[in-house]
Amino acid sequence: MTQNRFANRREAFWRGIRDAMGAPVLVLFAGMVGFGAMGRTHGFDAWMTGLTSLLMFALPGQVVMLEMFISGSSLLAIGFAVTLTSTRFVTMVVTLFPQLHRRDRNPLLYLWVHMLAMTAWAVSMREFPRMRPQHRLNYFIGLALPCWLISPMGTVLGYFVAGWVPTPVTLGLVFINPLFFLLTFTDVKPWGNRLAIGLGCVLGPLFFILDADSSLLLTGLVGGSAAYLVDRRWLRPRPVEVQA
Amino acid sequence: MNADLQGWGVWLALSAACVGTYVCRAAGVKLSGHIHQDSEVFRWLSAVTYAMVAALTVRMILLPLGLLATVPVWLRVVICALSLGVMVSSPQRRLVPALLTGTLLMLAYGVFRANP
Repeated sequence: MTQNRFANRREAFWRGIRDAMGAPVLVLFAGMVGFGAMGRTHGFDAWMTGLTSLLMFALPGQVVMLEMFISGSSLLAIGFAVTLTSTRFVTMVVTLFPQLHRRDRNPLLYLWVHMLAMTAWAVSMREFPRMRPQHRLNYFIGLALPCWLISPMGTVLGYFVAGWVPTPVTLGLVFINPLFFLLTFTDVKPWGNRLAIGLGCVLGPLFFILDADSSLLLTGLVGGSAAYLVDRRWLRPRPVEVQA
Repeated sequence: MNADLQGWGVWLALSAACVGTYVCRAAGVKLSGHIHQDSEVFRWLSAVTYAMVAALTVRMILLPLGLLATVPVWLRVVICALSLGVMVSSPQRRLVPALLTGTLLMLAYGVFRANP
């Protein structure tokens, strides 16, 4: 185990920055360029499109908001649908933050949590077990801060270049986001979670056909619970308590 | 008058969406204070989260909105499979080569479609 990866918190922070400067920033930037272009083609103004990325910072929710607004949904329906899409954050935070050092689990987390998105979550889940708990928060901030800051920039850029960038380029940019998440799944280790991903892939489209808005939550609860039960009953090798 | 209403509506929708999203994040922080990393609740919630995230990813690939929907679904699946192949071809990190594979293939399809 490489428990002593970092000499101090500052080093962990800079490592987080360095890890962000590859695929994570690229992915968010591309995704947000795509979103900015979408905002333009849907007829929203640049301010509002950019602010959405800064203040919401949840691409699927942002897309849902634009689509619903265009289709003339009521404000209540928009708020409800976006919140349902964002329920994944509850469990993402609940699975990530307990891994932080006790000292870091204070009210400041209410600030840092805004920078959490699927990208930083996926990378942190992979990297946290490989470092000491007291270094994890700084690593996370180093990782998530550039991801958050790049997003409004990508959005505004996408907004202004929409129309004169060739369609094939836009196509590649739009595709990079789902592809990244798909690829990070290959890094997931525990069998229970692997099974959950498999079930999520199968059940997701089925529940989506039944009811689009609640499909993520339903898939998570049904698929995740089934995977957990199977894992607990048959897959779990031995009751080892790994103290990180 | 109509344009004003439209303008108001956009900002209200944005505010509602931002508040809803942040409330979910904050609820996570609140709940995480009572959960331990080694507990069964933690394991269950991890599975639920991964299932949700997987569903979201598959939805973005199979049932996308906008431009990606104009690409045949079989092609999206084939490109994903090829990228996954590049990713798992080495136990080390192949994330960026795999991402490039997928993105460039998609770009190539776009070029091909424009000039067959």
